Amino acid sequence: MKNPVDPMRLFRWLLLGMWAASFVVRADMPDHQVFPAQSQQLLLWVVSERGRAEPEVHAAQQLAAQGVETWSLDLVAAYFQPQLPSSMDAMPPQDLADWLRAALVSGKRVAVYAVSRAAVPVLRAAATLEPGERQGLCVMLMYPNLYTVAEPLAEPDFLVVGSLSGLRVRVLQPRRSAATPWLPGLLEHLAKQGATTSHVILENLREGYWMRETPTEFESAESRRMDAMLLRELKQWGCE
Amino acid sequence: MKKWLGVCAMSLLLTGGAQAAGFEARAATPAPELKAQDLAGATKTLADYRGKVVLLNFWASWCPPCLREMPSMERLRIRMAGRPLAIVALDSAETADEVNGFLSKMKLGFPILLDPDGSNTKRWKVFALPTTFLLDASGRVRYVLTGPTEWDEGEALKIIESLLAESSPAKAASPKTAFNPAITKEYDQIGL
Repeated sequence: MKNPVDPMRLFRWLLLGMWAASFVVRADMPDHQVFPAQSQQLLLWVVSERGRAEPEVHAAQQLAAQGVETWSLDLVAAYFQPQLPSSMDAMPPQDLADWLRAALVSGKRVAVYAVSRAAVPVLRAAATLEPGERQGLCVMLMYPNLYTVAEPLAEPDFLVVGSLSGLRVRVLQPRRSAATPWLPGLLEHLAKQGATTSHVILENLREGYWMRETPTEFESAESRRMDAMLLRELKQWGCE
Repeated sequence: MKKWLGVCAMSLLLTGGAQAAGFEARAATPAPELKAQDLAGATKTLADYRGKVVLLNFWASWCPPCLREMPSMERLRIRMAGRPLAIVALDSAETADEVNGFLSKMKLGFPILLDPDGSNTKRWKVFALPTTFLLDASGRVRYVLTGPTEWDEGEALKIIESLLAESSPAKAASPKTAFNPAITKEYDQIGL
């Protein structure tokens, strides 16, 4: 007589397998898409917790065509995490720091562009770098979400990521966002951790305007021009 | 095995609970200052609504969930006509032109206040839109909701009725909350 399969035992093996697989994935630098170019400029693009959208791929291709090599990293996909902000908080900073170092040793001028909660692992990784390494980086954060507490009627609290001394951070903030009134506090928080900050308000745009279900005409047009916007901001921030 | 299943079931429950929007009861805290101009340029404060239950809604014309719940707020206004409830929608960090552009498309009978510099948004510590505060007739914050809802039904209506009952127990069960042909006619006129 055949032994019936114990479903609980199967479930345990499944969990064990997933746990083991996650270590295999985490044992190396995160997988990323490369959009190669010959110039001396390298952009590390870390997409938001919502994953990589088609306009972002298009923009990366356009940047490469204009000579800016682009490495596009979708962290939640690389680590098999759910598409939630909290997934970004669980990313191992050391893996991302290794990724940043790999970019720095390429000899190219390196800029990092992170969207929404992806700012958290990027800044944590930058904080683990040597001060000299950090100074070699330019960071641009699109509507960074660094809240630990954001409850109505309570003072906001931002994550402490570690020392950012020597790091240049430019925040790109769409005007049409509930976070816009809180931008001064965020910049102050980054400065307290040692970052040199600047910001730009992106008029008539909402957060994630390139992946909206019902974008305005202007948002659709700006999605198609995302490469130009990034080049402009890199130039403004002296990261060319 | 039962322990494992229990852990899994609890995880699912917690995950589901975290995703569901809901009213958050507050321990009757005094409301922050509200000072904003309406579309006619008149300055309004909470004192203007003293003695009434206040539904204070923070919104913006670019925010789809905010716009989705607006018709239900208008239906609530009509349904509660004559009762001590003030519905106030405070637009967060937009210009009067932007707000008027939206209002030309959706007719609303409750007051709209402007907060172009975001100062009220910051005083009330609003981090997401829409966010709505329900104040009792004494001006204390009793409930907070982050995210949209249908204001003229379900839990929202129950909470508002309970706050109205506190302020005026004898009038709590107003016949206006029951079927009223005049209300239905007004709904039809505004296309709700």
